[in-house]
Amino acid sequence: MQEAAFTVNAPGVDVDRLTKEIRETVARKKAAGAYQEPEAVRAERWNLDALRDDDEFIEAYLDSLRDAAVVDINDFEIVERRAAFAPLLRALKRTLWKLLKFYTYRLWSQQNTINGLFLAALENRERRQRRRLAALEARITALEGRRGTPECPPCDA
Amino acid sequence: MSAVRRVAFVSPRFAQGSAIGGAETLLRALALRAQSAGREVVFLTTCATDHVSWRNAVPEGRRTIDGLAVHFFPVNADRDASRFLRLQQRIGRGQRLSETQEADWLRHNVNSDALAAWLSANAANLDRVVAGPYLFGVVHQAAGALPDRTLLLPCLHDEPFAYLRATRDLFGRVRGFVFNSEPERDLARRLFGLAPDDGRVVGIGLEPRPPADRTAFPSKRGLQAPYLMYAGRREPLKGTPLLVDYFGAFRKRTGRDLRLVLAGSGAVDVPRELKPHVLDVGFLTEEEKNEAMAGALAFCHPSVNESLSIVLLEAWLNETPALVHAGSEVMRHLCRRANGGLWFGSYPEFEESLIVMLDRPETRRDMGRRGRSYVLQEYNWPTVEAHLLAALDA
Repeated sequence: MQEAAFTVNAPGVDVDRLTKEIRETVARKKAAGAYQEPEAVRAERWNLDALRDDDEFIEAYLDSLRDAAVVDINDFEIVERRAAFAPLLRALKRTLWKLLKFYTYRLWSQQNTINGLFLAALENRERRQRRRLAALEARITALEGRRGTPECPPCDA
Repeated sequence: MSAVRRVAFVSPRFAQGSAIGGAETLLRALALRAQSAGREVVFLTTCATDHVSWRNAVPEGRRTIDGLAVHFFPVNADRDASRFLRLQQRIGRGQRLSETQEADWLRHNVNSDALAAWLSANAANLDRVVAGPYLFGVVHQAAGALPDRTLLLPCLHDEPFAYLRATRDLFGRVRGFVFNSEPERDLARRLFGLAPDDGRVVGIGLEPRPPADRTAFPSKRGLQAPYLMYAGRREPLKGTPLLVDYFGAFRKRTGRDLRLVLAGSGAVDVPRELKPHVLDVGFLTEEEKNEAMAGALAFCHPSVNESLSIVLLEAWLNETPALVHAGSEVMRHLCRRANGGLWFGSYPEFEESLIVMLDRPETRRDMGRRGRSYVLQEYNWPTVEAHLLAALDA
């Protein structure tokens, strides 16, 4: 087929540059506190597997865990979409909800406690690891400076 | 070396209609191409059509389909499907299996002793066997029957199955490889220590045609707002739940009126509040698929498990830019090479990429046009056929 085509990688749009710009915008907005809404955090739950080897994994994982840790045991608006017998069905659903809530409240409370403890332990571990790593890196830099050895590239850990 | 004449292609299913996956479509297309280039081709496959149950659904025997001689063989009746699925799920979750369990997984995989027996019986009449993808028992059987003549078309990606002993054995046993992309070849080299000249990148050719009418699909379906499109299997492995969640978050956070068009097979769970904004069109005819692609703001492929994406190439052929998951090295590579799309590693990057697509129409159109040029230059049949024949004759 004859077509006035671009040569592959001819000047013009540069997706590498564009992606870099996008990443910079994201970093700037993140620093200003953006993307903290529950829907943005929740959307990441399917992405954890893909982030597994990334530096951002633990941050995204903890955000998702924070979002999901507390089981919502509050009352909610009970609706009925079917027009026929709607008031009756709504009343039935409300009664069922109250009964279920009464019998399972203890279970939910325990689950919330466990989730909260688990999250706190992970956050604590993550913070301690970061601090320890930063201290070790600073110590290595100081030691290298004293011995006059060339600085090694930053650790990936 | 002189040109090889007689070639058997082996695939667990035969691509008839649009319900079959990309790997099967690719093997069928390459077989037809090899045949039209003057090679004697036979296609060996199973009687199964369903990729979950693998029940024998079509009659056994030899039939000519689109001029291609296709032999259908039954999947072994003694396979324990539930045992296979249990082990398959464990591997998929990244759990390590013992050697015995792995052998069990292979034993209850999609095997056809009849197909393997045919290969052994006809060994004298075959110069090459092209078999794929690597996950299937019939492919292991083909490589076991004629290892010195088998070219593996692995459709490999970085997933737990790639790290099995059985996979390493398979890669170590065959004569050579037919890869779909450079990143796939690089991954195989890294995982299995292949030599630089082990295997060739072949890919698939697309028939050149003008981009479809970009106004046709929106006007037929009454779509007023710009839309993002996905086409293919809808399942977690393909990233569709991620796409639906990201799309919902985008609408809620930005307040922009964007729609999502989902084509293809499989259930997709769309939250009630998003339903009015998601158009699930199921299977489309080729013409409608192209029109839908041409009219889209971008074609989104959120899967990280790809060795090549035919739908992505088709979207580019319609001058529609791509938005892919950065976790897929292959997709990222394609977007970079073509300058035809952007990639996201997280929700914020997805959001900002879409904002670029929406707010910078000239950039978006430029990416679409470059995508098309790339497909016309790299994925045309004469080029792909030359690579295929070189791989067969090596």
